[in-house]
Amino acid sequence: MDLNSGICLGENEVVRINDKYFTLSPNLFESLRVKGGLVYAGRYLGRDRQRFEPSSLLLQVLAFEGGTRKVHVGRDAAWLFVCGRDIFQDNIDYVDGGLSLGSQFLIVYGRWCLGYGRYETIRDRAVIRNLFNIGDFLHREN
Amino acid sequence: MRGRSFFLERYAKLGRILTGEEVTLQAVRVNSLRASDGEVTTILEGEGVHIRKIPYLDHGYEVSASTFSLGSTLEYLLGLYSLQEAASQLPVQVLRPDQGDVALDMCSAPGGKTTQMAAYMGNDGVIYAVDASRNRLYAVENNLERCGATNALVYHGDAVLIDLGVCFTKILLDAPCSGNYVTDPGWFSRRTIRDVESNAARQRRLLSRALEVLEPGGRLLYSTCSLEPEEDELNIQWLLENHYVDLERVDGPGVPGLTSVFGSELDRRLSNCRRLWPGGGSQGFFIAKVVKL
Repeated sequence: MDLNSGICLGENEVVRINDKYFTLSPNLFESLRVKGGLVYAGRYLGRDRQRFEPSSLLLQVLAFEGGTRKVHVGRDAAWLFVCGRDIFQDNIDYVDGGLSLGSQFLIVYGRWCLGYGRYETIRDRAVIRNLFNIGDFLHREN
Repeated sequence: MRGRSFFLERYAKLGRILTGEEVTLQAVRVNSLRASDGEVTTILEGEGVHIRKIPYLDHGYEVSASTFSLGSTLEYLLGLYSLQEAASQLPVQVLRPDQGDVALDMCSAPGGKTTQMAAYMGNDGVIYAVDASRNRLYAVENNLERCGATNALVYHGDAVLIDLGVCFTKILLDAPCSGNYVTDPGWFSRRTIRDVESNAARQRRLLSRALEVLEPGGRLLYSTCSLEPEEDELNIQWLLENHYVDLERVDGPGVPGLTSVFGSELDRRLSNCRRLWPGGGSQGFFIAKVVKL
Protein backbone atom coordinates (compact mmCIF):
# COMPACT_ATOMS: atom_id res chain seq x y z
CA MET A 1 0.00 0.00 0.00
CA ASP A 2 1.51 3.35 -1.05
CA LEU A 3 -0.63 6.41 -0.45
CA ASN A 4 2.16 8.95 -0.01
CA SER A 5 1.67 9.03 3.76
CA GLY A 6 4.31 10.60 5.98
CA ILE A 7 3.21 8.59 9.02
CA CYS A 8 5.88 6.29 10.38
CA LEU A 9 5.44 4.08 13.44
CA GLY A 10 8.29 2.57 15.41
CA GLU A 11 8.24 -1.11 16.37
CA ASN A 12 7.69 -0.23 20.01
CA GLU A 13 4.58 1.78 19.13
CA VAL A 14 2.83 -1.16 17.53
CA VAL A 15 1.35 -4.17 19.30
CA ARG A 16 1.07 -7.37 17.31
CA ILE A 17 -1.59 -9.94 18.19
CA ASN A 18 -1.37 -13.00 15.92
CA ASP A 19 -1.44 -11.53 12.38
CA LYS A 20 -3.01 -8.21 13.45
CA TYR A 21 -1.39 -4.89 14.32
CA PHE A 22 -2.64 -2.23 16.76
CA THR A 23 -1.62 1.06 18.30
CA LEU A 24 -2.54 1.82 21.89
CA SER A 25 -2.97 5.09 23.74
CA PRO A 26 -0.49 5.49 26.64
CA ASN A 27 -3.37 4.86 29.04
CA LEU A 28 -4.36 1.66 27.26
CA PHE A 29 -0.73 0.56 27.00
CA GLU A 30 -0.32 0.89 30.79
CA SER A 31 -3.52 -1.06 31.30
CA LEU A 32 -2.33 -4.01 29.24
CA ARG A 33 -1.07 -6.20 32.09
CA VAL A 34 -2.27 -9.58 30.84
CA LYS A 35 -1.59 -10.71 27.28
CA GLY A 36 -2.93 -14.26 27.49
CA GLY A 37 -6.28 -14.42 25.73
CA LEU A 38 -5.88 -10.95 24.21
CA VAL A 39 -7.40 -10.83 20.71
CA TYR A 40 -7.83 -7.11 19.98
CA ALA A 41 -6.50 -3.88 21.48
CA GLY A 42 -6.92 -0.17 20.91
CA ARG A 43 -6.78 1.08 17.34
CA TYR A 44 -6.69 -1.72 14.81
CA LEU A 45 -4.26 -0.98 11.96
CA GLY A 46 -4.58 -4.02 9.75
CA ARG A 47 -3.42 -7.57 9.26
CA ASP A 48 -0.82 -9.56 7.39
CA ARG A 49 -2.20 -12.05 4.93
CA GLN A 50 -0.60 -12.47 1.53
CA ARG A 51 -0.18 -8.70 1.67
CA PHE A 52 -0.86 -6.12 4.36
CA GLU A 53 -4.61 -5.48 4.60
CA PRO A 54 -5.26 -2.06 6.18
CA SER A 55 -8.15 -1.52 8.54
CA SER A 56 -10.82 1.08 7.95
CA LEU A 57 -9.48 2.87 11.06
CA LEU A 58 -6.01 3.20 9.55
CA LEU A 59 -7.42 4.43 6.24
CA GLN A 60 -9.48 7.03 8.10
CA VAL A 61 -6.34 8.28 9.90
CA LEU A 62 -4.54 8.51 6.55
CA ALA A 63 -7.46 10.39 5.02
CA PHE A 64 -7.09 13.11 7.65
CA GLU A 65 -3.41 13.50 6.75
CA GLY A 66 -2.75 16.38 4.39
CA GLY A 67 -0.23 14.79 2.04
CA THR A 68 -1.96 11.54 1.14
CA ARG A 69 -3.39 10.95 -2.31
CA LYS A 70 -7.15 11.13 -2.26
CA VAL A 71 -9.98 10.85 -4.73
CA HIS A 72 -13.17 12.59 -3.61
CA VAL A 73 -16.48 11.23 -4.80
CA GLY A 74 -20.19 11.96 -4.42
CA ARG A 75 -22.83 9.78 -2.78
CA ASP A 76 -23.74 7.67 -5.82
CA ALA A 77 -20.13 6.78 -6.63
CA ALA A 78 -19.48 6.20 -2.91
CA TRP A 79 -22.28 3.67 -2.74
CA LEU A 80 -21.11 1.86 -5.87
CA PHE A 81 -17.57 1.76 -4.47
CA VAL A 82 -18.62 0.12 -1.18
CA CYS A 83 -20.60 -2.36 -3.28
CA GLY A 84 -17.29 -3.37 -4.86
CA ARG A 85 -17.41 -1.39 -8.10
CA ASP A 86 -14.50 0.55 -9.56
CA ILE A 87 -14.71 4.34 -9.94
CA PHE A 88 -14.82 5.79 -13.43
CA GLN A 89 -12.97 9.04 -13.97
CA ASP A 90 -16.29 10.79 -14.79
CA ASN A 91 -17.47 10.08 -11.24
CA ILE A 92 -14.50 11.75 -9.52
CA ASP A 93 -15.37 15.13 -7.96
CA TYR A 94 -11.75 16.13 -7.41
CA VAL A 95 -8.32 14.71 -6.63
CA ASP A 96 -5.70 15.50 -3.99
CA GLY A 97 -2.39 14.65 -5.69
CA GLY A 98 -2.12 14.11 -9.44
CA LEU A 99 -3.67 11.10 -11.14
CA SER A 100 -0.91 8.94 -12.51
CA LEU A 101 -1.28 5.37 -13.69
CA GLY A 102 -0.40 2.80 -11.05
CA SER A 103 -0.79 5.22 -8.12
CA GLN A 104 -2.97 4.31 -5.18
CA PHE A 105 -5.62 6.64 -3.76
CA LEU A 106 -7.82 6.82 -0.72
CA ILE A 107 -11.47 7.11 -1.72
CA VAL A 108 -13.14 9.86 0.29
CA TYR A 109 -16.80 10.80 0.61
CA GLY A 110 -17.28 13.99 2.60
CA ARG A 111 -15.00 13.53 5.62
CA TRP A 112 -15.16 9.74 5.46
CA CYS A 113 -12.73 7.30 3.92
CA LEU A 114 -14.45 4.42 2.12
CA GLY A 115 -11.37 2.41 1.16
CA TYR A 116 -8.63 2.69 -1.39
CA GLY A 117 -7.90 1.84 -5.00
CA ARG A 118 -5.37 2.06 -7.80
CA TYR A 119 -5.57 4.25 -10.91
CA GLU A 120 -5.51 1.92 -13.92
CA THR A 121 -6.80 1.55 -17.40
CA ILE A 122 -9.20 -1.30 -17.95
CA ARG A 123 -10.25 -1.91 -21.58
CA ASP A 124 -8.90 1.53 -22.55
CA ARG A 125 -10.95 3.22 -19.86
CA ALA A 126 -9.35 4.97 -16.86
CA VAL A 127 -10.70 3.81 -13.52
CA ILE A 128 -9.81 3.70 -9.86
CA ARG A 129 -9.70 -0.02 -9.34
CA ASN A 130 -11.34 -1.09 -6.08
CA LEU A 131 -8.70 -2.68 -3.82
CA PHE A 132 -10.47 -2.45 -0.44
CA ASN A 133 -13.71 -0.91 0.73
CA ILE A 134 -15.75 -0.80 3.94
CA GLY A 135 -18.41 -3.06 2.41
CA ASP A 136 -15.97 -5.69 3.66
CA PHE A 137 -17.76 -5.48 7.03
CA LEU A 138 -20.81 -7.13 5.45
CA HIS A 139 -18.79 -9.99 4.02
CA ARG A 140 -17.10 -10.60 7.38
CA GLU A 141 -20.40 -10.78 9.25
CA ASN A 142 -21.80 -13.25 6.74
CA MET B 1 -43.01 -27.22 32.74
CA ARG B 2 -42.77 -25.61 29.37
CA GLY B 3 -44.85 -24.19 26.57
CA ARG B 4 -46.71 -21.04 25.77
CA SER B 5 -49.54 -21.32 28.30
CA PHE B 6 -47.16 -22.34 31.10
CA PHE B 7 -45.02 -19.25 30.71
CA LEU B 8 -47.91 -16.83 30.04
CA GLU B 9 -49.60 -18.08 33.22
CA ARG B 10 -46.38 -17.44 35.14
CA TYR B 11 -46.31 -13.85 33.86
CA ALA B 12 -49.97 -13.44 34.85
CA LYS B 13 -49.10 -14.61 38.39
CA LEU B 14 -46.42 -11.90 38.40
CA GLY B 15 -49.09 -9.35 37.54
CA ARG B 16 -48.67 -9.00 33.79
CA ILE B 17 -51.19 -10.26 31.25
CA LEU B 18 -49.35 -10.85 27.99
CA THR B 19 -50.61 -12.29 24.71
CA GLY B 20 -47.35 -13.85 23.56
CA GLU B 21 -47.73 -11.88 20.33
CA GLU B 22 -45.97 -8.68 21.42
CA VAL B 23 -43.41 -7.38 18.95
CA THR B 24 -40.47 -5.03 19.06
CA LEU B 25 -39.77 -2.27 16.57
CA GLN B 26 -36.38 -1.93 14.95
CA ALA B 27 -34.26 0.74 16.59
CA VAL B 28 -30.94 2.39 15.88
CA ARG B 29 -28.43 4.08 18.15
CA VAL B 30 -26.45 7.03 16.83
CA ASN B 31 -22.73 6.58 17.46
CA SER B 32 -21.65 9.84 19.08
CA LEU B 33 -18.00 8.97 18.41
CA ARG B 34 -18.68 9.44 14.73
CA ALA B 35 -21.65 11.74 14.23
CA SER B 36 -24.33 13.86 15.84
CA ASP B 37 -27.93 12.74 16.13
CA GLY B 38 -28.97 15.54 13.78
CA GLU B 39 -26.49 14.47 11.11
CA VAL B 40 -27.68 10.88 11.12
CA THR B 41 -31.41 11.61 11.30
CA THR B 42 -31.14 14.12 8.45
CA ILE B 43 -29.42 11.54 6.26
CA LEU B 44 -31.81 8.70 7.09
CA GLU B 45 -34.93 10.85 6.71
CA GLY B 46 -33.53 12.07 3.40
CA GLU B 47 -33.35 8.46 2.27
CA GLY B 48 -37.01 7.96 3.17
CA VAL B 49 -36.56 6.19 6.51
CA HIS B 50 -39.30 6.95 9.04
CA ILE B 51 -37.66 7.38 12.42
CA ARG B 52 -38.74 8.82 15.73
CA LYS B 53 -36.68 9.70 18.81
CA ILE B 54 -37.23 7.29 21.68
CA PRO B 55 -37.88 9.71 24.54
CA TYR B 56 -36.13 7.73 27.27
CA LEU B 57 -32.91 7.07 25.30
CA ASP B 58 -30.00 9.46 24.78
CA HIS B 59 -29.28 8.48 21.18
CA GLY B 60 -31.98 5.91 20.31
CA TYR B 61 -34.44 6.13 17.42
CA GLU B 62 -37.34 3.87 16.55
CA VAL B 63 -37.61 2.87 12.90
CA SER B 64 -41.22 2.56 11.81
CA ALA B 65 -40.65 2.19 8.07
CA SER B 66 -37.74 1.70 5.72
CA THR B 67 -37.70 0.31 2.20
CA PHE B 68 -34.16 -1.05 2.60
CA SER B 69 -32.04 -2.81 5.18
CA LEU B 70 -30.56 -0.38 7.68
CA GLY B 71 -27.75 -2.85 8.28
CA SER B 72 -26.21 -2.29 4.87
CA THR B 73 -26.25 1.45 4.26
CA LEU B 74 -23.24 3.66 3.67
CA GLU B 75 -23.81 5.30 7.07
CA TYR B 76 -24.02 1.95 8.85
CA LEU B 77 -20.77 0.80 7.26
CA LEU B 78 -19.17 4.11 8.29
CA GLY B 79 -20.22 3.42 11.88
CA LEU B 80 -22.46 6.48 12.18
CA TYR B 81 -25.12 4.31 13.81
CA SER B 82 -25.72 0.78 15.04
CA LEU B 83 -28.79 -1.40 15.01
CA GLN B 84 -29.65 -1.83 18.67
CA GLU B 85 -33.04 -2.70 20.10
CA ALA B 86 -34.51 0.03 22.32
CA ALA B 87 -34.46 -1.79 25.68
CA SER B 88 -30.94 -3.08 25.09
CA GLN B 89 -29.68 0.50 24.88
CA LEU B 90 -30.68 1.11 28.48
CA PRO B 91 -28.05 -0.83 30.49
CA VAL B 92 -25.05 1.20 29.30
CA GLN B 93 -27.04 4.42 29.51
CA VAL B 94 -27.85 3.63 33.15
CA LEU B 95 -24.28 2.53 33.97
CA ARG B 96 -22.99 5.66 32.20
CA PRO B 97 -19.25 4.93 32.12
CA ASP B 98 -17.09 8.00 31.61
CA GLN B 99 -13.55 8.96 30.70
CA GLY B 100 -12.17 8.28 34.16
CA ASP B 101 -13.46 4.73 34.35
CA VAL B 102 -11.73 1.39 34.13
CA ALA B 103 -14.68 -0.61 32.87
CA LEU B 104 -15.34 -4.29 32.30
CA ASP B 105 -17.83 -5.71 29.81
CA MET B 106 -18.08 -9.29 31.07
CA CYS B 107 -20.03 -10.92 28.23
CA SER B 108 -19.30 -8.53 25.43
CA ALA B 109 -20.27 -10.28 22.18
CA PRO B 110 -21.49 -9.14 19.73
CA GLY B 111 -20.16 -5.78 20.90
CA GLY B 112 -23.11 -3.40 20.55
CA LYS B 113 -22.94 -2.43 24.20
CA THR B 114 -19.12 -2.34 24.15
CA THR B 115 -19.18 0.30 21.42
CA GLN B 116 -21.92 2.15 23.31
CA MET B 117 -19.63 2.19 26.36
CA ALA B 118 -16.79 3.58 24.22
CA ALA B 119 -19.11 6.34 23.04
CA TYR B 120 -20.05 7.34 26.59
CA MET B 121 -16.37 7.31 27.51
CA GLY B 122 -15.40 9.45 24.51
CA ASN B 123 -12.85 6.76 23.56
CA ASP B 124 -10.94 7.52 26.77
CA GLY B 125 -10.52 5.44 29.91
CA VAL B 126 -10.28 1.68 29.38
CA ILE B 127 -12.80 -1.02 28.53
CA TYR B 128 -11.83 -4.63 29.12
CA ALA B 129 -14.20 -6.66 26.94
CA VAL B 130 -14.40 -10.40 27.57
CA ASP B 131 -16.35 -13.20 25.97
CA ALA B 132 -16.16 -16.97 26.17
CA SER B 133 -16.90 -17.54 22.48
CA ARG B 134 -14.02 -16.88 20.09
CA ASN B 135 -16.39 -16.95 17.11
CA ARG B 136 -18.65 -14.31 18.63
CA LEU B 137 -15.64 -12.13 19.45
CA TYR B 138 -15.09 -11.58 15.72
CA ALA B 139 -18.32 -9.57 15.78
CA VAL B 140 -16.97 -7.53 18.70
CA GLU B 141 -13.79 -6.80 16.75
CA ASN B 142 -15.75 -5.77 13.65
CA ASN B 143 -18.07 -3.54 15.66
CA LEU B 144 -15.17 -1.81 17.41
CA GLU B 145 -13.46 -1.16 14.09
CA ARG B 146 -16.62 -0.04 12.30
CA CYS B 147 -17.65 2.33 15.11
CA GLY B 148 -14.17 3.79 15.63
CA ALA B 149 -13.91 2.61 19.24
CA THR B 150 -10.24 2.62 20.23
CA ASN B 151 -10.22 2.30 24.03
CA ALA B 152 -10.90 -1.44 24.38
CA LEU B 153 -8.78 -4.45 25.24
CA VAL B 154 -10.63 -7.58 24.08
CA TYR B 155 -10.03 -10.97 25.67
CA HIS B 156 -11.18 -14.45 24.83
CA GLY B 157 -12.03 -16.23 28.06
CA ASP B 158 -14.64 -17.16 30.59
CA ALA B 159 -15.49 -14.08 32.63
CA VAL B 160 -15.85 -16.26 35.74
CA LEU B 161 -12.27 -17.52 35.47
CA ILE B 162 -10.23 -14.87 33.68
CA ASP B 163 -7.88 -12.77 35.82
CA LEU B 164 -6.93 -9.46 34.20
CA GLY B 165 -5.01 -8.18 37.23
CA VAL B 166 -7.27 -5.14 37.51
CA CYS B 167 -10.03 -3.83 39.78
CA PHE B 168 -12.82 -2.07 37.93
CA THR B 169 -14.78 1.09 38.66
CA LYS B 170 -17.72 0.02 36.51
CA ILE B 171 -18.83 -3.39 35.30
CA LEU B 172 -21.47 -4.29 32.76
CA LEU B 173 -22.84 -7.80 33.17
CA ASP B 174 -25.38 -8.21 30.41
CA ALA B 175 -25.69 -11.84 31.26
CA PRO B 176 -26.33 -14.77 28.94
CA CYS B 177 -29.96 -15.62 29.66
CA SER B 178 -33.01 -17.51 28.50
CA GLY B 179 -34.07 -14.59 26.32
CA ASN B 180 -37.71 -13.89 25.63
CA TYR B 181 -40.32 -14.74 23.03
CA VAL B 182 -40.41 -11.28 21.45
CA THR B 183 -37.05 -11.64 19.73
CA ASP B 184 -37.22 -15.42 19.25
CA PRO B 185 -40.31 -16.83 17.49
CA GLY B 186 -39.57 -20.40 18.59
CA TRP B 187 -38.96 -19.47 22.21
CA PHE B 188 -42.06 -21.06 23.78
CA SER B 189 -41.45 -24.42 22.13
CA ARG B 190 -37.80 -24.60 23.17
CA ARG B 191 -37.51 -23.20 26.67
CA THR B 192 -38.17 -25.09 29.87
CA ILE B 193 -38.04 -24.01 33.48
CA ARG B 194 -34.94 -26.19 33.83
CA ASP B 195 -33.15 -23.95 31.28
CA VAL B 196 -34.16 -20.94 33.33
CA GLU B 197 -32.77 -22.44 36.54
CA SER B 198 -29.55 -23.48 34.83
CA ASN B 199 -29.05 -19.99 33.43
CA ALA B 200 -29.81 -18.43 36.81
CA ALA B 201 -27.08 -20.53 38.45
CA ARG B 202 -24.57 -19.48 35.80
CA GLN B 203 -25.60 -15.85 36.26
CA ARG B 204 -24.98 -16.07 40.03
CA ARG B 205 -21.44 -17.30 39.33
CA LEU B 206 -20.91 -14.31 37.04
CA LEU B 207 -22.36 -11.94 39.64
CA SER B 208 -20.04 -13.29 42.33
CA ARG B 209 -17.04 -12.89 40.07
CA ALA B 210 -18.08 -9.36 39.14
CA LEU B 211 -18.14 -8.36 42.80
CA GLU B 212 -14.69 -9.88 43.35
CA VAL B 213 -13.14 -7.61 40.73
CA LEU B 214 -15.25 -4.49 41.39
CA GLU B 215 -13.71 -1.70 43.49
CA PRO B 216 -15.52 -0.79 46.70
CA GLY B 217 -17.88 2.02 45.71
CA GLY B 218 -17.88 0.76 42.12
CA ARG B 219 -21.04 0.15 40.11
CA LEU B 220 -22.17 -3.16 38.63
CA LEU B 221 -24.93 -3.02 36.05
CA TYR B 222 -26.69 -6.38 35.79
CA SER B 223 -29.14 -6.90 32.96
CA THR B 224 -30.90 -9.71 31.14
CA CYS B 225 -33.51 -9.89 28.41
CA SER B 226 -35.22 -12.70 30.32
CA LEU B 227 -38.69 -12.21 31.78
CA GLU B 228 -38.16 -14.96 34.32
CA PRO B 229 -37.74 -13.72 37.92
CA GLU B 230 -35.25 -16.52 38.66
CA GLU B 231 -32.80 -14.75 36.32
CA ASP B 232 -33.78 -11.26 37.45
CA GLU B 233 -35.15 -10.26 40.86
CA LEU B 234 -34.37 -13.58 42.55
CA ASN B 235 -30.73 -13.38 41.49
CA ILE B 236 -30.46 -9.85 42.87
CA GLN B 237 -32.21 -11.00 46.08
CA TRP B 238 -29.51 -13.68 46.34
CA LEU B 239 -26.86 -11.00 45.78
CA LEU B 240 -28.27 -8.82 48.57
CA GLU B 241 -28.33 -11.79 50.94
CA ASN B 242 -24.79 -12.97 50.16
CA HIS B 243 -22.72 -9.88 49.38
CA TYR B 244 -22.12 -6.49 50.92
CA VAL B 245 -23.98 -4.45 48.31
CA ASP B 246 -26.83 -2.02 47.85
CA LEU B 247 -29.06 -1.11 44.92
CA GLU B 248 -29.22 2.28 43.24
CA ARG B 249 -32.56 3.37 41.89
CA VAL B 250 -33.01 2.90 38.13
CA ASP B 251 -35.53 5.22 36.51
CA GLY B 252 -36.93 5.12 33.03
CA PRO B 253 -39.49 3.08 31.14
CA GLY B 254 -41.10 -0.03 32.54
CA VAL B 255 -42.01 -0.76 36.14
CA PRO B 256 -40.09 -1.15 39.40
CA GLY B 257 -38.54 -4.57 40.02
CA LEU B 258 -40.86 -7.12 41.61
CA THR B 259 -40.83 -7.38 45.40
CA SER B 260 -43.24 -10.29 45.53
CA VAL B 261 -42.63 -13.35 43.37
CA PHE B 262 -44.95 -16.38 43.35
CA GLY B 263 -46.02 -15.74 46.94
CA SER B 264 -42.55 -14.95 48.33
CA GLU B 265 -41.84 -11.47 49.66
CA LEU B 266 -38.47 -10.12 48.56
CA ASP B 267 -36.21 -7.31 49.80
CA ARG B 268 -38.02 -4.00 49.29
CA ARG B 269 -34.88 -2.55 47.72
CA LEU B 270 -35.61 -4.64 44.63
CA SER B 271 -38.10 -1.96 43.64
CA ASN B 272 -35.00 0.10 42.77
CA CYS B 273 -34.47 -2.23 39.80
CA ARG B 274 -36.33 -1.77 36.54
CA ARG B 275 -38.37 -4.39 34.71
CA LEU B 276 -39.55 -3.86 31.14
CA TRP B 277 -42.33 -6.15 30.06
CA PRO B 278 -42.71 -6.68 26.30
CA GLY B 279 -44.97 -4.22 24.51
CA GLY B 280 -44.95 -0.60 23.48
CA GLY B 281 -42.35 -1.32 20.82
CA SER B 282 -39.66 -2.92 22.97
CA GLN B 283 -38.78 -6.39 24.16
CA GLY B 284 -38.61 -7.41 27.81
CA PHE B 285 -35.60 -6.47 29.93
CA PHE B 286 -34.42 -6.35 33.52
CA ILE B 287 -31.88 -3.88 34.91
CA ALA B 288 -30.27 -3.68 38.34
CA LYS B 289 -27.62 -1.15 39.37
CA VAL B 290 -25.56 -2.59 42.21
CA VAL B 291 -23.15 -0.63 44.41
CA LYS B 292 -20.36 -2.52 46.14
CA LEU B 293 -20.14 -1.26 49.73
